[in-house]
Amino acid sequence: MSMIVATAPRDQTRRRMHVDGWRWAGRIFLVFMLLYTALPMIWMLITSIKSGFAAMQFPPQWWPDEPTLASYKKLLDPQNSVGRDFLRFFWNSLLVATATTILSVIVAVPAAYAFSRFTFPGRNLLFFAVLLRNMFPAVIFLVPLFILMRAIGLVNTHGSLVLTYLTFGLPLAIWLLKGFYDNIPVQLEQAARIDGATRFQAFILIVMPLSTPGIIATAIYSFIGAWNEYIYAYTFLSKNDQLTLPVGIQRFFSENTTDFPGLMAASFMMSVPVVVLFLVLQRYFVRALTEGAVKH
Amino acid sequence: MAHVVLKDLVKTYGSFKAVNDVSLTVNDGEFVALVGPSGCGKTTTLNLVAGLIPITSGEIVIGDRVVNDLDPKDRDIAMVFQNYALYPQKSVYKNLAFPLQMRKLPREAIDKKVRDAARVLDMTELLERKPRELSGGQQQRVALGRALVRDPAVFLMDEPLSNLDAKLRVQMRSEIKRFHQDLKATIIYVTHDQLEAVTMADRMAVMNGGYLQQYDSPAQVFAHPVNMFVASFVGSPAMSLVPLQASTANGNTVLTGAEGWQFELSPHNAQKVASAKTKKVVLGARHSTIKLHKSAVPASVPAKAYTVEPTGDVTFVQALLSGAIVNISVSPNVAVAPDEQIWLEFDQERMHLFDGETEMALKVN
Repeated sequence: MSMIVATAPRDQTRRRMHVDGWRWAGRIFLVFMLLYTALPMIWMLITSIKSGFAAMQFPPQWWPDEPTLASYKKLLDPQNSVGRDFLRFFWNSLLVATATTILSVIVAVPAAYAFSRFTFPGRNLLFFAVLLRNMFPAVIFLVPLFILMRAIGLVNTHGSLVLTYLTFGLPLAIWLLKGFYDNIPVQLEQAARIDGATRFQAFILIVMPLSTPGIIATAIYSFIGAWNEYIYAYTFLSKNDQLTLPVGIQRFFSENTTDFPGLMAASFMMSVPVVVLFLVLQRYFVRALTEGAVKH
Repeated sequence: MAHVVLKDLVKTYGSFKAVNDVSLTVNDGEFVALVGPSGCGKTTTLNLVAGLIPITSGEIVIGDRVVNDLDPKDRDIAMVFQNYALYPQKSVYKNLAFPLQMRKLPREAIDKKVRDAARVLDMTELLERKPRELSGGQQQRVALGRALVRDPAVFLMDEPLSNLDAKLRVQMRSEIKRFHQDLKATIIYVTHDQLEAVTMADRMAVMNGGYLQQYDSPAQVFAHPVNMFVASFVGSPAMSLVPLQASTANGNTVLTGAEGWQFELSPHNAQKVASAKTKKVVLGARHSTIKLHKSAVPASVPAKAYTVEPTGDVTFVQALLSGAIVNISVSPNVAVAPDEQIWLEFDQERMHLFDGETEMALKVN
C-alpha cells in the first residue's frame, strides 16, 4: 500500500511531462501551419499598398517606404477602364455565386430532408449516385459539360456557370444537410404534428430553425465554391463583360508589365466577401442548437 | 374526453408484422397501459393511434369518429414522448403556447391557458427558460404541460418516465396518476415496465410479438394470467415456471419432476390438467405462494438452494427445481445457505398450471 502511495506522484509527473512534450510539438506544428497559411495573405496585403516600382524591388521592402492606396482607388473608380472592369467582374461573380447559393439551398434543403426522413424505393441508390459525382475530378466534366451547354444554348451566359456549380455544390450540400437532419430527433416533428401543425408547418416552424446552422454552412460552402471557381468560368465565358473575378483578375497579368500591386489589391478585395461571410456567420457553425432538446 | 376503440389493427413493414390484429377498447376517462418487452409493438400501436404512421388495416375510433385517415393534428390528441421532444429553440412559455397558437387561439386566451397550466404543474418560475436549462424532471413536467394545455380528447404517453432516475420516476409516477384522477382524462400509456402498468393503470394490455396477449385490470392479469408469457412478465420477481410431467395413478393426478419426485394435485387442479391435450404441464407459482421448509413435510418437494438475496423486509431464495429456477420469499430471519437442501410446498389454491406445448393457462372445462 505504502509503496503505491510513494510511486504515484512520480508516475504522475512523468505522465504530465510526456503530455507536455506532445502538446509543445502540437503547438509548434500549429505555428508552422499558421505561418504557412497567413504569410502569403500578409504578403498580398503588403504588396497591394506598395507602388508599382517598390513591388519589383529586390531585396524586397518588408514594409513599403511609401504605403499607398492608389491601387485600391484605381480598382474602385468606375471612371477609369481598369476600375470599370474590376467592378463589373466583381458584380458578375457576386451574381453567379449568389444565384448558385440560393438555388443550392432551395434544392438541397428538401432533398436532404427527404433523404433523412423518408424511405422510398431507390433511396440508397440515389443517395450514392448523388455522392458518386464527387468521386471524379472536376476537369473530367469540362468538355462534356461544354458540349451540353452549347447544345442548350447556354454558352456565354451566367446560367451555364450557375448550373455547373450546382452540379458540384449540390451533392455535398445535400450530404452535409442530411447529417444535420439526421441529428434532429424525429419526435420534434411528431410533437409539432400532434400539436396541430401540418407536416409542412412542422418542417418550417420546428425543423428549419433548428437546421439554420446547417443551412448557413451549406450556403457558405456553395458561395465560396462558386466565388472561387476558375476553370469552368474560363471555358464557358469569352465575352469580356461577362467574366467573373477569378478569370478577370488574370487580365492583370499582361505580356509586358504586370501590375503586381493592382493584382494583389484585386485579390485582396476578392477574398473580402468570403472572409466577411465567415466572420459574421461563424457562430452558426459552433452553436449547438439542439442541445437540451432531448435527453440522450 | 373520449373513448378509443382499436379494431383488428394491423401494421406491417414489408413481411414483418409489427402489430397483429390488435383490438381493444379504452373507455372514456380510463387509464390504459400498453405494456410488453421492447419490440412487442406497443409503441407502434401508440403511433398508429396518434396517426404518426399509417395503418395497414383495421380501424381506429376516437370519440365517435373513425380517424384512420385523419392527420395527427385533427385527431384531438396530445402526446408525451420518451425524450420529451421539447422545442429546443423555444422557451417553456412558447413550448406550452405552440399547440394553442397552431389552433389560432387569441393571444389573451393563450396566455391565460399557459399560465394556468404552469400553475397546475408548479413551474411558473420556469416559463422564460429554455428546455436545455431545465433538469430532467422539469423537462418532463413541461412535456406534460404541453399535452394538458390543450385539453385534448386523449392523452398518449410513450414511456414518459423511462429517462428519469429511479427516485424521480417514482415521484412522477404518482404525479401522473394524480393528474389522471384530477382530470378524468383518457390516457393510453406505453411502458416496458410492468410495475408502472400495474401501479398506474385501470387496465393493462400486455403485448408480445405484435399480439395482444391479455387485456384486463392489473389485479386480474396478476391473478389470472392467460399464458406463460403474461405470467412471467407481470410481477416482480417473475413467476417461477417449472416444467413437469403429469400422470394418473389410481384415480389421482400427480406431477413428476425431472429429479423423480412427485406430488399429488388437488381435485380442482387435477381437472385442469385433465383438460390438457399433453402430459407436459408447466407449474407456475409466485414467490409468496411457495413455502420453504428445512426438512421434508407432506406434499413438499425437494430442491436445492441456489442463491440467497436479502432485501431487508424479505429475503428471496432462488432454488433449482426440475431444471428451473424457483423464486421463494422468506422472512429475513430464516437462514438458508446456497447449495443447502430445502423442501418446497406449493399452495394448490394459488398455483397456475399451463399447457407445456401451447403455453396457455389450463382451465377447468
